[in-house]
Amino acid sequence: MKFSNFLCGALVAAACAAPWGCVSIPDTGKKPTLGTHVGDWRDEVIYQVLIDRFANGDVNNDFGVRPGALARFQGGDWRGLSDHLDYIKDLGVTTLWISPIVKNVETDADVDSYHGYWAQDLTQLNPHFGDISDLRAMIAHAHELGLKIVLDIVTNHMGQMFYYDMNLNGHPDINIGGSGPLQGAGSRSDLTRVTEYDPDWDPRGVQAFTSLGNAGRAPIIFIDDPSINRIPSPGVLGTAQAYHGYGRILNYDDEKQRTLGDFPGGLKDVATELQSVRDEMFDKYTRWVEEIDLDGFRIDTVKHVEYEFWRDFAPRVRQRLAPQGKNRFLMFGEAFDGNDELLGSYTQPGMLDSVFYFSQHYQLFRDVFSAAIDPTKQKGTKQIETLWANRAVNYNTAPQEGGIGVAASKALINFIDNHDVERFLFSAKNDKDLLRNALVVLVLEEGIPCLYYGTEQDFSGGNDPANRENLWDTNFSRTGDTFVHFRKLARIRATYPAFRIGDTQVVWSSEHTGNEEDAGIFAFERTGGDAGSGYGLVVVNTNNFKDSVTGDGTASMKVSVPAGTQLVDVLDPDLTTYPVGSGGTIRLAVAKQRSLVLVPEADVKN
Amino acid sequence: MSPCYVRGPLLFASRARIAPMTVLAALTFGASPALAQTAPSEPPLSRDSSAPSVPGSRAAQTSEPGTPPPSEQTRGQDALRTVKEPAQTHEGGFEFGSYGRVWAASDLRGGTGRGSNVVAFGPRIVDEGSYAELELRREDKYNDRIKTRIVATLALFPPFFHFTGKQLESIGVRNLYAQGTYDKLTLWAGSRMYRGDDIYLLNWWPLDNQNTVGGGVGGPVFKSSDGVHETILQGHFGMQRLDNPFQYQQIPVVAATGFGTTDITKLDRPRTIETFKATHFVRPGGGPGGFKVVLYGELHQLAAGVIQDPLTQVDRGLPSDTGWMVGSQLTFFRGLKDTFGSLVLRHARGIAAYDPLSVPTTFALDRTTSGASETQIAISGNWENDYVGVTAASYIRFFRDGNPAPTTTNKYDEGAIVARPSVFLGDYFGVSVEGSYQARRIAIANAAGNGPTTASVAKIGVMPYFSPSGKGTFHRPQLRLLYNASFRDAGTRGLYPTEDVFAQRKVEHYAGVSAEWWFNSSSYP
Repeated sequence: MKFSNFLCGALVAAACAAPWGCVSIPDTGKKPTLGTHVGDWRDEVIYQVLIDRFANGDVNNDFGVRPGALARFQGGDWRGLSDHLDYIKDLGVTTLWISPIVKNVETDADVDSYHGYWAQDLTQLNPHFGDISDLRAMIAHAHELGLKIVLDIVTNHMGQMFYYDMNLNGHPDINIGGSGPLQGAGSRSDLTRVTEYDPDWDPRGVQAFTSLGNAGRAPIIFIDDPSINRIPSPGVLGTAQAYHGYGRILNYDDEKQRTLGDFPGGLKDVATELQSVRDEMFDKYTRWVEEIDLDGFRIDTVKHVEYEFWRDFAPRVRQRLAPQGKNRFLMFGEAFDGNDELLGSYTQPGMLDSVFYFSQHYQLFRDVFSAAIDPTKQKGTKQIETLWANRAVNYNTAPQEGGIGVAASKALINFIDNHDVERFLFSAKNDKDLLRNALVVLVLEEGIPCLYYGTEQDFSGGNDPANRENLWDTNFSRTGDTFVHFRKLARIRATYPAFRIGDTQVVWSSEHTGNEEDAGIFAFERTGGDAGSGYGLVVVNTNNFKDSVTGDGTASMKVSVPAGTQLVDVLDPDLTTYPVGSGGTIRLAVAKQRSLVLVPEADVKN
Repeated sequence: MSPCYVRGPLLFASRARIAPMTVLAALTFGASPALAQTAPSEPPLSRDSSAPSVPGSRAAQTSEPGTPPPSEQTRGQDALRTVKEPAQTHEGGFEFGSYGRVWAASDLRGGTGRGSNVVAFGPRIVDEGSYAELELRREDKYNDRIKTRIVATLALFPPFFHFTGKQLESIGVRNLYAQGTYDKLTLWAGSRMYRGDDIYLLNWWPLDNQNTVGGGVGGPVFKSSDGVHETILQGHFGMQRLDNPFQYQQIPVVAATGFGTTDITKLDRPRTIETFKATHFVRPGGGPGGFKVVLYGELHQLAAGVIQDPLTQVDRGLPSDTGWMVGSQLTFFRGLKDTFGSLVLRHARGIAAYDPLSVPTTFALDRTTSGASETQIAISGNWENDYVGVTAASYIRFFRDGNPAPTTTNKYDEGAIVARPSVFLGDYFGVSVEGSYQARRIAIANAAGNGPTTASVAKIGVMPYFSPSGKGTFHRPQLRLLYNASFRDAGTRGLYPTEDVFAQRKVEHYAGVSAEWWFNSSSYP
């Protein structure tokens, strides 16, 4: 034993013998043993948390906080989330999707990286949110409560760490190029808007130019500004070769631009086709799973990354984690796009387990539910039936090898709104009946529901950053109508397997949105599949101006349970019963912007 | 992240020696050495040999104004008789004293020698840096009952002009106070370094070390007739308002008249500190050796205030805060050749856990320092004979900030042990060798994720010196050569940003020359 070790041991022993003890790391703050915490992801209810906005549990990491300025840091952290997990648990949520954890470029153009999407160093944690022990402790606490953790990651781009030196003067410029027209001599040199931080797409790659004309590819110059952590990443991501350098996407329908262009805001597109870059992304993000025992990845901007990347990334993550006891690790992608076919393409064999169901966000929650405030804009519920029918067409109908064990077509991530779009209540003019009706479908439809934080508190912010309010302003109230409503829906989902793992059969939809008898009615059964004989029926009236019925003229809704079955509305505090008529028909009148959630009387549980 | 090891600004940790009686003497009796000399049967406490040495006392003795003989004069015709004038009672004079040290050192890699401690009070050998104090003092004795002392001490902080080529020196006014003694009661007011005993090797005052603007009172309250027992009480009130947004803020507002802006004081909340000290001496047989026992306490208060957030220009409340500290000291002093041994215990809570010349940077959720604590145990000692000497010290310290988070860089345990044996080569030369070990355990997860981060440094150094004032561990001035090697473990290196060479270097060298002196200083009599 070295003498220094002996002395160290003696000092430590003396310290620990003292009545006040010596410093230690709580067991929950130590590196965890990995485990599989999920059986069937369809049993889960996801809650999206923007860490900076949820709860402030440690004022000591409030660096640069500007209360009330939503484009700036507000002070939330992992400790704050851990302190309020009981709130989330009480809401009926079972999984947390947390915003990115890695170190970011601090600020850019007077906007802060409170959201976490401006990664600078994939190996370091963002100190605004705590240290690794805080993060581990939060996750351990969540697991103890039966909550799982999904981490938001970004592979498409990094934060703004460099500029294109288009005029070759060695510093970043935001200016107007060219001399403009000379009086009486015509144009000598076009005026050009230039921002070397975020220049427009150029299929040749961002070009340098002088007053004499083009000067070839603009050099990529990394910025060294430690004051805002705008410094090169360590490793390959800190080199110019790791970036495409084509400039900002102008046309999202152009696949080349979509996959090679920079993301708006100067977020430079990573050359994910390089194996060295793929290895970096795979290794650094998987390491976080090993360090803190994550249960899944929500992956940002997947449509801006080439397909081959996902065929490389996803299987490797599964293969590395499985031997360590981490199975059914969920990976779902975000493609901010209403193209259902495009969304489904990322779930094809060898890629992701699931995707954010953006097409449904538009076609169901926007066109049918929030648009209900204006019948001239509302779409009929037939649109939903058509969309859902394409689940089996556009999405993988088989589970990924080594994945979550459930096909993407049955495990889509359903959501009403999120941090990238205006909140539902903003577009629905704060009509809370519309929101609560939409929540019925969100929670009870097939797939995995995902609730954006603050929805339960009737947040109604517009577009980013107005939709990123501070939850602590609500004092975490659990008595609001929407909170109580969602909690009840989550309990119904948890109580009746049909609403979690049953197949879906639409039993009534309509093109009508006006004064027609069935205007706004949408009804679907959840039964069969992994739910066996379990049965549930959801009947929703999306019409905002009249009561409607599940019939039109002589036609009535026909369900799959036998005639005489008594169906009980478990959403109704009075547990009203509705009998199924002959031939399985049932004609239900549903009040405007209300829903019935029906299960056979024999299955009703307290 | 730049590691922060010191408890507060280095300006406290500026000078020397175990001197158990120093401040006490300065406070209670206003006793310059020469004045003390007038009453040899009652040696001033500043002469107490629990202090390893009394630097400057000889010089002070020679410069102290003497007592002039009574004068006789013959006055006029009718003064055939000789009239004896009453004795002149006023004595006074100016004094100059100083403490200082100046280093020039290389890291043997072409750079400047650099300190390598990872604990708050690590060995001073390569971390103390250059520093000097220049003290001008006025001593007056009006009669046998009334004495005064007025002290002005300037402190010079490096780097100095000959190193940087810049004339902009950092100078601080440390002492600027007046002290008056009436019989046994001494009062003082002003700006003052107000301290107990230090641990020379660690450059540290482990029990009491106040640097305030305020005042104090003290004096002996008991002395046995045989001189064996003596008790002294002291009290002090002081305040500090650091130029920091934690305590002080000025903001511009629209001028009340005319154009433009004028500054107003938005936040003004000094920390007020009260200290209480009881010291008891036991000198068996009335000899020079004995024991000293000290009980010491502090109270700290900080008022509530309002600060304008510089980012948002929105007012934000700052809560009031309090703290307290208790401590004790037991010292044995032989009274010969600076031999002594000392034990200090101390525990502080709340804002008293933070050095008053620094401000807390982490807080409880209510933004107070409630929950913060500091506990420390320190031992030190010196022994020497005509040929060799050894001085040694050690401490352990447990610091917890007010942050409720269990993991933070501001919760740590630390300790150090150091020994410096010396061989005296004749009366004026010697060689010292110093070995030390220090470690800090920090409540942040280590790289393996299985426990706290630990950082440690071991040092070994050799220091030949010339001591013109004679042999002895605490004789000054000393002119030195020094080589020291610091062995830094992975935990220590991990505390530095990767861009810092200290993140890579396992061994740090320090080779250079220095001088250290002290003489005739009221702070270190």
